[in-house]
Amino acid sequence: MKVALFVPCYIDQFYPQVGIATLQLLEKLGVQAHFPAQQTCCGQPLANSGCERDALPIYKHFVDTFSDYDYVVAPSGSCVYHVRKHFDKLDQTADVQHVRGAAYDLIDFISTVLKVESLPGAFPHKVGLHLSCHGQRGLHQANESEMTPVRDGQLSRLLRSLDGLELTQLNRNDECCGFGGTFCVSEAGISARMGQDRVADHVRNGTQVLTGSDMSCLMHLEGIVRRARLPIKVMHAAEILNGVVA
Amino acid sequence: MSTASRDRILDAARANKPAELPLPTVPDFGGEATIERFTTVLAGIGGTVVRMSGLAELVPTLQQLFPEARATASPLFAASVPINAQTPTGILAAIDLAVLPGEIGVAENGAVWLPEANMMNRALPTITQHLALVLDQRRIVATMHQAYAQLPNTGGYGKFVAGPSKTADIEQSLVIGAHGARSLVVLLY
Amino acid sequence: MSHAIRADKFLLDADRTTWHDETLWFVREKRDRAAYGVPEFQELRELASGIKNHTLSRLDLYLQEFEAAAQANGVHVHWAADAAEHNAIILDIIQQQGATRIVKSKSMLTEECHLNPYLIKHGIEVVDTDLGERIIQFRDEPPSHIVLPAIHLKKEDVGDTFHTHLGTEKGESDPQRLTEAARQHLRGKFIAGEVAISGVNFAIAETGGVVVCTNEGNADLGVNLAAVHIACMGIEKIIPRLTDLGVFTRLLARSATGQPVTTYTSHFTKPVAGKEMHIVIVDNGRTQQLGRPDFRASLKCIRCGACMNTCPVYRRSGGHSYDFTVPGPIGAILSPNIDMKKHASLPFASTLCGSCTDVCPVKIDIHTQLYKWRQVLGEANEIPAAKKWSMKFMGRVLASTRVYGLGGQFARKALRLLPHGLTHAPSMNAWAVARELPEAPRQSFREWYAKQPQPATQLPNPKVPA
Repeated sequence: MKVALFVPCYIDQFYPQVGIATLQLLEKLGVQAHFPAQQTCCGQPLANSGCERDALPIYKHFVDTFSDYDYVVAPSGSCVYHVRKHFDKLDQTADVQHVRGAAYDLIDFISTVLKVESLPGAFPHKVGLHLSCHGQRGLHQANESEMTPVRDGQLSRLLRSLDGLELTQLNRNDECCGFGGTFCVSEAGISARMGQDRVADHVRNGTQVLTGSDMSCLMHLEGIVRRARLPIKVMHAAEILNGVVA
Repeated sequence: MSTASRDRILDAARANKPAELPLPTVPDFGGEATIERFTTVLAGIGGTVVRMSGLAELVPTLQQLFPEARATASPLFAASVPINAQTPTGILAAIDLAVLPGEIGVAENGAVWLPEANMMNRALPTITQHLALVLDQRRIVATMHQAYAQLPNTGGYGKFVAGPSKTADIEQSLVIGAHGARSLVVLLY
Repeated sequence: MSHAIRADKFLLDADRTTWHDETLWFVREKRDRAAYGVPEFQELRELASGIKNHTLSRLDLYLQEFEAAAQANGVHVHWAADAAEHNAIILDIIQQQGATRIVKSKSMLTEECHLNPYLIKHGIEVVDTDLGERIIQFRDEPPSHIVLPAIHLKKEDVGDTFHTHLGTEKGESDPQRLTEAARQHLRGKFIAGEVAISGVNFAIAETGGVVVCTNEGNADLGVNLAAVHIACMGIEKIIPRLTDLGVFTRLLARSATGQPVTTYTSHFTKPVAGKEMHIVIVDNGRTQQLGRPDFRASLKCIRCGACMNTCPVYRRSGGHSYDFTVPGPIGAILSPNIDMKKHASLPFASTLCGSCTDVCPVKIDIHTQLYKWRQVLGEANEIPAAKKWSMKFMGRVLASTRVYGLGGQFARKALRLLPHGLTHAPSMNAWAVARELPEAPRQSFREWYAKQPQPATQLPNPKVPA
C-alpha cells in the first residue's frame, strides 16, 4: 500500500505539528506515508471564490503529484471533499479518477481503509468535537442532525474508545463554525459571530479540549478562543490520537 | 389577455426543459390508522376529539361542549340559523358554531377532509367562531397518501382542516384563533 | 451594497442577533423532530424531487393540460411573461369589477412582482391578510422570511406598530392580545373585500385546481367572501396529479414549521355560481432558469423556508440583508438569475456548509448551486477586482512548488517578526477583528520533513492493531 501524505498549505505553514502527528499516527498504525515535496494545495480557496478556472493548473499539479499512490491522506476533510467533488472540472483521465477516489481524510482513512474503530490509550479530559461540514455532510463521516437524531460518527467512535475521555454534549451538534474559506474575510462579521457562538456552545457545556479532523475550522475557532483568552485547548484529532497511542 | 405571452412562455419552456425524466410511483407506505393516533396528533395541534357512541348523541354533546353558542349552523340537526350558498356575509359573520360532516380523517396529522357539499356555504367553516366536524371513525386513514387515494375528486372547493386557525407570526408565539375558527372539535362516532 | 455590509449592520445589535438566531433555530429544531417522526421522510424527499424533476421535463405540456382543465372548470386563465404584465392583468381584472378594496393572502410571487405599490398607485386599497404580512405592510417593510414574514420583529415592535395603526394600548406586547386586535381589524377588511388575491402552493395539471396552504385561514376567508378570486402562480407550481399532493403535503409544513400539516390545505377548483375565479400564470425569468442546467433544480422549490431556518448565515444576518424577495440560501441561487450584478454578493453569503441542501424537502442541491453561481459570477467579472487578481496570483503560486515554498517562508517570517498591532490591525486584516492569527512556527512541515531520515522503502502492508 503506497500512501501519500497531503499536508494542506495552511497546515504546512502554520500547524506543522498537525502534519507531524498525522505522519506519526499513521506510522503507529502500520502505514509508512510518504510526503511528496512538490505538493502545494487543492485549489479550493480559488474555486470557492469563483475562480475555478484559475484553480485548474493547481488541480492538475495535485493529480500529477499524487497519481502514483494508492491513497492520499490529509488531516483536512475539506480539502479531500474538494478533490473528490470538484475535480470533476478536469478531463476525467484514469489518473484524475484515481486521485479523486484515493483522497481520504485522515479519520476516514483510519476508519474505512484501516478499519480501526477503537484505539488503546487514555485521554482523561472533556473533549468537544467540532464536526467539519465538509467531513460530515460532504464525506458522510458523521450522522447529520438534519437526517437523524442518532449522533454517531467515525471520530466520535475513536475518541470514545479512549480511556477517561468524555465527549461534550453540545446544544447544537453540528452547526457550521463559520470559517468557510475566503468567507472568513469576505464576510468577516458573520464568520466571527458564528465562530463565537460555536465556541460559546463548548464553553457552556464544559469542553476542555476542542478537537476535530479539519484544521481549517480549528484554526478559525482557535483564533476566537485565543482572542477571548478562554481556557480551552484546541488540538487536531491527529495530535490527540498520536499522543495517546504508543 | 395576451396570447403572445402564453406562446412565448410555452415556447421557452419547451426549448429550455431537460430531457424527459420519469414520473415516480408513490407507494402507500402503510402506517397506523388508529383513533388513538388521530386523537393525540389533533390534540398536539390545538384540536380536540370527542367520542360519541352514535349520531343520536350529537345534540346533547354539543350542548355540553358549547353551552353558550347561540347562532348555530348545521345540516345535521335543527340549528338556529339556516345557511345556504347565497347567505349574506353579515349573517355568516355572526355564526358562533358550525357543525359540519367531515369525510376522511388523517391519523398522521389530525386533518379532516371537508368537501364543499358538506359546508352549506364556502365561507362558513372559516368565518364561524367555532367549528365542529362530525366524523365516522371508520373513515380514519393513516396518511395523506391514503386520504388522497380515497378522494374521488376535489369538487369545486374543498379542504383539509387540521385544528383551529392559528398563527405564530409574532415572535413564533403560538396563538390559536387567527382569522378562522377559534376552536376545532372532531366528534367521532 | 453587498450582503456583508448589510449583515454587519444587523450584527451591531448583538443581543438581537442572538434572539433572531435562537428563534429560527427553534423552528429548525421543530422541523427536525417532525422529520424524525416520519420513518419514510427521506424517501418522501426523493419522491418529491423526482415528481418535480419530471414535471419540469414536461413543463410546457403540463401547463397546457392545467390550462385546459382550469378553463373547463370555468376559470379564466391568464399568462404573464413578466412582473409588469402580471400587475397589469390583475389591475385590469379589478377595474373591470369596478372594485377598489382588495384582500390578499400571502404570495411571494406578488411580492416579487411588487404588486402592492402598483395597485396602490392606481387607487386600489390592498390589505395583506396574513398576520405577519399585515404587520410589515403597516411598517412599509419587505418580508424578511417567506414563511414568517415578520420574524425580524420582536413583540414590542409589533405592539408599537399596532398602537399606531390599530389603536391597541401603548406598551401592549402580548402576542395573544395583539393577534386578537388584528383578527377584529381584518374581519372588517375580509367582509368588505371585493376581490381576493391569493398565491398558489400547488397547481394540479390533472384537475386544473390550485391548492393554497395557510394556518390562519386568511386565504379561505378572503376568497370565499369576495366576488372574484385571483390566484397568482409561477409556472413552476405545477404538479401532475392530485395524488402527488400526498407527498408534498406531508413534507411542506413539517419542513417549514414542524407542524404535521398546515391548518388549511384548501383546494380551489371551480368558482361558486355567480362568482369569478382567475389564475395568472407567471414566467418572470423562470423559463430562463429552466434553461440553465446547473440551476434549473431551483425551480423545484416549494417555498417552505427550511433552508433559511437552518442557514447559520441567514439566522445571524436577517432576511433583509439579502435585499431580495426570497432571502436565504434559496434566494441566493434564485436572485442572480433575475439580476446578476445587483445580487452578485449573495452566492458568497454562505460557508457552503450544506445544511440547506440536507433540509430541502425537494432535494435542491442548494450549496452546490451556490458554488456554481460563484463560478458564473467570477467568469462574468462580477466579483471584486482585488479578489479576482489575488486569486489569479495565488493560482500561479500554488501551481508551482518552488514559488509556493518561498512565499510561505516569507509569510511566516513576517508574521513572526512584525508587531501584533500591525499584523492584527482591523483595517488591514479582516480576520483579526475578532480572531487571533495562528502563531507562526519557526519551521514549516515540509522543512521539518526534509530533515527527517527517510525510510529506504515503503512498508508493504499496514499493520493494523487488533
